[in-house]
Amino acid sequence: MSHDNDTVTHLRLDPDDVGQQDAQSLLEAIQSDLRYEEVIHGCLNCGVCSGSCPSHRFFDYSPRIVVQTVLSGDAEAVKAMMDEYIWACAQCYTCAMRCPFHNSPGGLVMIMREVAVWRGMEAVHRLLKPYGRVLLKVLSIGNQLTPDMIQPDFFPDWGPKIPWSSTDLAIKRKAIPVYTLQVTTSAWRVSPETSYELYSIYEETGVFRLIEEIDPNLYEVVADMVEDLRDMVESSR
Amino acid sequence: MATNSIDRNIKTSGWEFVTKTVDKRALIKNQKPDPREELAELEARGEVKVIHITEENQPITVETLLGRTKRIPTNKLWHHKSCGQCGNIPGYPTSIMWFMNKMGLEYLDETHQTSCTAWNYHGSGTSNLVALASVAVRNWHRAYETGYFPLIHCGTSFGNYKEMRNLLIEHKDLRDEVRRIMHKVGRELVIPEEIVHYSEWLHVLRDRVAAMRIHDVSNIVTTVHPACHVWKLIPEDVIYDPNIYGGERPAPTTAILLALGAQVADYSTWYDCCGFGFRHILTEREFSRSFSLERKIKVMVEEAHSDVAITQDTGCTTTLDKNQWIGKAHGYNYDLPVMADVQFAALAAGADPYKVVQIQWHTSGWQKLLDKMGIDWQSSKAAYEAYLEELRAGKEPEQLYIPPVEQPV
Ligand code: SF4
Ligand code: SF4
Repeated sequence: MSHDNDTVTHLRLDPDDVGQQDAQSLLEAIQSDLRYEEVIHGCLNCGVCSGSCPSHRFFDYSPRIVVQTVLSGDAEAVKAMMDEYIWACAQCYTCAMRCPFHNSPGGLVMIMREVAVWRGMEAVHRLLKPYGRVLLKVLSIGNQLTPDMIQPDFFPDWGPKIPWSSTDLAIKRKAIPVYTLQVTTSAWRVSPETSYELYSIYEETGVFRLIEEIDPNLYEVVADMVEDLRDMVESSR
Repeated sequence: MATNSIDRNIKTSGWEFVTKTVDKRALIKNQKPDPREELAELEARGEVKVIHITEENQPITVETLLGRTKRIPTNKLWHHKSCGQCGNIPGYPTSIMWFMNKMGLEYLDETHQTSCTAWNYHGSGTSNLVALASVAVRNWHRAYETGYFPLIHCGTSFGNYKEMRNLLIEHKDLRDEVRRIMHKVGRELVIPEEIVHYSEWLHVLRDRVAAMRIHDVSNIVTTVHPACHVWKLIPEDVIYDPNIYGGERPAPTTAILLALGAQVADYSTWYDCCGFGFRHILTEREFSRSFSLERKIKVMVEEAHSDVAITQDTGCTTTLDKNQWIGKAHGYNYDLPVMADVQFAALAAGADPYKVVQIQWHTSGWQKLLDKMGIDWQSSKAAYEAYLEELRAGKEPEQLYIPPVEQPV
């Protein structure tokens, strides 16, 4: 992690800063993101973004208020928003299509989410908890969803056909006539060398360190998998 | 070619007003520089390598939102698969490959690909710009060294890669950081000349695909759900055509359906998202359910009298398909089949509904639709069940594609 110098601070946050939650520094982290200038150009307070926002329809959430609050410079209000409010956004970018100022409120929310996670804000632990299985997959093999994750216990609301999708899975996947897809624990066969490279990316970009800071239990599982795979690849070279 | 115009009632809705007066006009007036020109300059200065579209890729030129041209490669393609296919819609990649086989097109599907990781990023924030860009470049570079051009299956990967391409072109320090990481994994910084989604590939080949049709679909009323990350992220890089809704809406998917002879019905919430929400589909499904039912399925059925919802992304297909059953608890008694454009086209062209289109994984009732299309799915089901038995007994699986001997990365 020796490259955490000034030249990369606006590209990514430092996992060593997890826990630093001073409101002003959170706002500065948002505003210094390389994408900030592209997502906010001012705001007419017209509410066009909220008018077509799917989350506005079902949650106490408004992209107009997010943009206005960040532009107001009220760091405490921004901090309060990062805890829960911004997580209602569905990341559909309809707001970005419609804003007469070419803002991307969804893009701003994404920067705020990233800062909230990389500073380890309280709500993040709660919000990420149901995400453990996805994180484990994405960190260990780079896939985000795998066939064996579609289980009736987890998706009871998807109806009576879901048990079909989860029983006899190995044979049903084999019956998909594409070799790379004939697996159950990953979305497709991922070569060990590919995961090996992915681990280097996660290491160099601070992602592994972040997970270690915000979810040590998950990190322990991932670290074991990483070590095993690295040993395997290195011994086969 | 077949054309489509905007429904008169929908024309007067707020969205059309905003589309005409704000989005497109303003985008045209305030055109950002073309990233591809900047990329060419970077290449000329020796700053980056570019994955070029060559004659071998048999490109077809189309127009995008701002009237710029985009070349869509049709041959010698590297499949960048979507992790959302698994469990839910495996017939999405198989239908693409089935058509490529039919058309004698060359492709590479191999194991040296990762997901773009952007679904996780949008849902959880547990990544960052450098990691996303590095993952993108690693996949691009892998395609580059094999000599095949990346074809992106997933809508979110497509949107994310367009963003990453633009940011890498605009920011030297991002390039430097990604280059440093690529050197650590024995790779180089390469950027494709175009970021290409499979729906664009299907779009430019629609006449060839339509010529393969064996089932009459003229009595089928389709409704199209354009994927948000396909057309709202970097909107200037999306194909528009004056024959499709007067050039006011993205052309892919609608155009292939029209080419096949199907009806495409307009509906007032066409622009809304599906309700996927990235984190919501996993952790706040009440939102995904309510939104997909209330704003999409209900409107597609009641307003447009649709027989089938046609998508162009794995996440949208999952959301719209899987969330209908639970709606019965609140009197939403819909059972609208949902599938990707390429699956619908494959069905129309005679692909086996079970073995190739893998329709059995879809939860909302598709049987009536297939009956209406004149497809004998019962025979296909019986053959599939027999095939499962053979596999259980140890038979080697049939393959649409024999992967080459694994090349070292
Ligand atoms: S990206 Fe978020 S804020 Fe923007 S319209 Fe979609 S849900 Fe609303
Ligand atoms: S649409 Fe744009 S200008 Fe209007 S309130 Fe939203 S962000 Fe501000």
